[in-house]
Amino acid sequence: MEQAAIRPLKRRAKWNRTEFWMLLPSVIVLAAITIFPFFFMIYASFMDYRLDMDHPRFAGLENWQNTLTDETFWQSWGRTVVYAGGGLILQLLLGTGIALLLYHIPKFRNLFSTLVMLPVFVAPIVTGLLWRFLLDPTYGFYHWIVRQLGFDVQILGDPNFAMLAVIFMDVWEWTPLVTLIVLAGLQTVPEEPLEAADVDGANAWQKIFLVMLPMIRRMIVVALLIRSMDILRYVDTIVITTEGGPADATKTIGYYLMQVAFRFQDIGSAAAVGLTMLVVSTLMGRFFIKVLKAEEA
Amino acid sequence: MQLKKYSINTALYALMLLCLIWALSPILIMLMSSLKTQVNMFEMPPKLFFAPTFESYREMFFGRGDFPRFLKNSLMVSILTTIVCLFLGVMGGFGLARGGFKREKDISFWIISTRMAPIPAVILPLYLIFSKLQLIGTTTGLILAYTTFNLPFALWMMTTFFKDVPADLEEAAMIDGCGKFRAFWRIVVPTASPGIVATAVLCLMFAWNDYLFASIFTNRQTQTIPIAVSLLVSQSGIKWGQAMATGTVIITPMLICGLLVRKYMVRGLSMGAVK
Amino acid sequence: MTRSWFTKLSVLVMACVLVLSACSSGGSSKSGNADGANVSGNNAGGSDQSGGSGNSGGGSSSGSTDDPFGGWIEGLPKIEAPEGFDWRQFEGITLNVITENTPPSSGLAAHIDVFEQATGIKVNIEQVNLDIVVEKAGLDFNARNANYHIIYADPYQILAKQAQHFVDLNELNNDPTLPSIPGGLEDFIQSQLIVGGYMGNTDHLYALPYDNPTMILAYRKDVFEKYKDLFMQEKGYDWTPGPEMTWDQYYEIAEWINRKAKEGVITEVKYGTGHQAKQHDSLMNDFSNVLASFGGDYFEAPNIGDIGAENPGKSKLTEPEAIEAAEFYAKLLSIAAPGSTTWDWTGLAEAFAAGEIALAPEWHEFAGMFEDPSKSRVAGKVSWTILPKGPKGRGNMYGGTSIGINKYASEDEIRAAWLFLIWATAPQTQYMILDAGFTPTRYSVYQLPYIQTAINDPNSQEFKEWPLAASLAAAQEAWKEENVYMRPKTPLWPQIDTIIYTELSKMLAGRQSPADTMKEIAKQSDRLTGN
Repeated sequence: MEQAAIRPLKRRAKWNRTEFWMLLPSVIVLAAITIFPFFFMIYASFMDYRLDMDHPRFAGLENWQNTLTDETFWQSWGRTVVYAGGGLILQLLLGTGIALLLYHIPKFRNLFSTLVMLPVFVAPIVTGLLWRFLLDPTYGFYHWIVRQLGFDVQILGDPNFAMLAVIFMDVWEWTPLVTLIVLAGLQTVPEEPLEAADVDGANAWQKIFLVMLPMIRRMIVVALLIRSMDILRYVDTIVITTEGGPADATKTIGYYLMQVAFRFQDIGSAAAVGLTMLVVSTLMGRFFIKVLKAEEA
Repeated sequence: MQLKKYSINTALYALMLLCLIWALSPILIMLMSSLKTQVNMFEMPPKLFFAPTFESYREMFFGRGDFPRFLKNSLMVSILTTIVCLFLGVMGGFGLARGGFKREKDISFWIISTRMAPIPAVILPLYLIFSKLQLIGTTTGLILAYTTFNLPFALWMMTTFFKDVPADLEEAAMIDGCGKFRAFWRIVVPTASPGIVATAVLCLMFAWNDYLFASIFTNRQTQTIPIAVSLLVSQSGIKWGQAMATGTVIITPMLICGLLVRKYMVRGLSMGAVK
Repeated sequence: MTRSWFTKLSVLVMACVLVLSACSSGGSSKSGNADGANVSGNNAGGSDQSGGSGNSGGGSSSGSTDDPFGGWIEGLPKIEAPEGFDWRQFEGITLNVITENTPPSSGLAAHIDVFEQATGIKVNIEQVNLDIVVEKAGLDFNARNANYHIIYADPYQILAKQAQHFVDLNELNNDPTLPSIPGGLEDFIQSQLIVGGYMGNTDHLYALPYDNPTMILAYRKDVFEKYKDLFMQEKGYDWTPGPEMTWDQYYEIAEWINRKAKEGVITEVKYGTGHQAKQHDSLMNDFSNVLASFGGDYFEAPNIGDIGAENPGKSKLTEPEAIEAAEFYAKLLSIAAPGSTTWDWTGLAEAFAAGEIALAPEWHEFAGMFEDPSKSRVAGKVSWTILPKGPKGRGNMYGGTSIGINKYASEDEIRAAWLFLIWATAPQTQYMILDAGFTPTRYSVYQLPYIQTAINDPNSQEFKEWPLAASLAAAQEAWKEENVYMRPKTPLWPQIDTIIYTELSKMLAGRQSPADTMKEIAKQSDRLTGN
């Protein structure tokens, strides 16, 4: 009895060491390429540091003060909430919906799911160019359709529509990824609870909402986590299409950072902005992972 | 009853059709436009039937577009990044999943949080490291840069997957006299292979699509396809024909790869959900 | 199960390897014939002068003092070296050039074998977008590196900030052991040399003029000829765009065309005028034309538009001229083609080429695209003139750039880079790369009969070979001191530019009045510059 309890423990300890050595290379590589940049960001955020300077000067809280009192900074965060929030919700709804549709479709499921998956393989920079082409007032096909429907609007040239347009670009590109993950989740839903629901006389909607969705909640959170990390950081489509305009309508925090870092070459302020983004991403990540853990328990 | 089922199916197919139109019409227009001259591309409504011209593709592959070089670089960088990240990620993910480390949760959160770093803010420090190591403009440098976002992703995914592979398997193998390391490679890795494939495809995709890192860390010899695309937008106009042709070609390798392993991808991604 | 998975994976890997190997072989076989095709296509079979330009085989007899590059033609200054100069003394050095993808870059890249064969120096010309050039040059200087030896020195985004990192070219030009600039500095168009070459004072020369896009007015001559009489009847004056046109007339004409197009009288175009009014650098450019012609400017420091100034001084946008200009600009844009707020210069050019608009203030380099029937429906129907005048003169925005040498390169690399600069900006080289849509930056090149014919005779063979010539009579007029407008050259310009076009974009979206917009820009830029 006692021996039996000790043996696995011993083996566990032995494994432990091997596993430590297995994990170590990854940790070293990761630390080498991320720790220095991280501390550099903290250092730079307290320095007056422009790329054209010979020597950065200590600036105390100046960068933080300038950043946190900059109206554009807060407006950019506000627009980011709309952009990321709108984008994520739409992707989630559409992605889950399409996954459920694919799950229920009787024939050609493989063909359909492959076709629906295509946009995710188009590089974001191509997506931006393609949508710029589709929405152009002179020769854009989508713009032409909108005009045929009787709406004479400048989609990328009007502050009210530009944001909608860039959200839709993100949704177009990334919904398939959500679909893929959710579909993977759906295929693990076991038969028994569904059969039990059938016996209880549940209809299709009840089965979806009461049985299937709760069982794949975890996959949905995984999809959300992956997407939320990237939607804050990636601005390729905005860079190619609206460049933050018109009237700043599409200047998200990612684009704002890019402007400060690349166009203004103000490394100090860029570091401060970058750190705020890192904090928000981390908090979001913590939240989603907490949800994940709660699901597991 | 029969009729009801029939009408439900019709509705499902109709919805499916809508989704396909939404997802595919931009791609179809891209494909069609790549076969037109710029003047014809601009025609509204677009012509569905036209005499195709392969001028854009010819220019892209054999003209000044110099596309084969970009394609080679892109393939090389994304495949090598994927191999490196997967190799480290599979080992590390297993280590983390089984190690029973005291602060496992913190380690795993640190790992995933490194993927969240805003790229424009970390470019300067990375540049400083790379220029010390003489890596600016090299394929190695770009691979290392991609490792910053692909390694955490691979580690995180693999940790999840390995947690779902029952520990009995490797323990049984060890009792049979296998070394720990051999047990890992021979038993655990093959069992988790669908998950590995799914992770590989996503890593490949992230590397293949990246523009920002590539724009800074490459030079003329090592530029990748997204850079080639950005070069089509110049002071003197956008080369739409080539942009459309490049867009069409850029999907193809990913598409082939996706098709080959699609089944495993769905299975792999679902592994994490199996309790 | 596992087996089949591994089979598929290995098939995939094999496929990748195959593609990779196919690419590399395709790449190497390709590079030779593309260059060959370009060289032979250059001005082929045109006038008698073009005979010299096809000379890419390069008579590179090593050790010769004079011009090893070939391609010199009668009338141009010669590339000359000191007695006994060895053009191949830097053989084996590799030079990296970073430049925006503009016409001279692709032209030089296509003919680079001429330079490489003559000097034995290997040159990599890396063409990227301007923001990437700016970022990479900044990173290179910041790390005191010379990953790039030769840098495209945008006067506003690079030179104004980083002049101290460039080699003083006067020292190289005056070095008796090195060749000097053929034709001398005075052969460069002077206003372009000053804005592109100096910073703060004219003591040090940092870069040589490389390209020179300038905003002038493109118009549809078919429309203006066809409806000339009708307009004369209704409005009582000759509406043909030219030096005498004012902005008020421009507005009246554009509005008239809008109305007639709506009534169905004019069918050739849909709108009178189009603008590059996206929230983008282009909007600042488009507005500056109007601002300058109303007598306004951005800052008060003297010479800020040519040699530049570290401190731009106080903003002048609160002055009445500026506010008047902003009011006119807002009024003009309210009748412009509605797509204007979506367009940068490219979008505007595409709309013009698609036949949507009759008048467009546009960069002269688009002339080549407008004459290309595969990209334009208006080939043969476009004329160019300088921009309309305002109450206080005229402003044609200049947007040219120079190239300079990174001072952190080694001594030999700097001298090798100097040879490249000499060759790349030499009149005979400029003549050779015309077919890339290049605009010469040298007076002497404009004197050539070939160029004169192309510019003055749209029916000539010369014009067909070099359709960019359509805009060059007007561009040359625009470069004159009284007509050109040059934006402030000051280190904080990228930030100031962003403030300007962002606030202007808000004005065009109806979020703020023209007067408030000017005040807001003044307030923000004064805070930024500390004035």
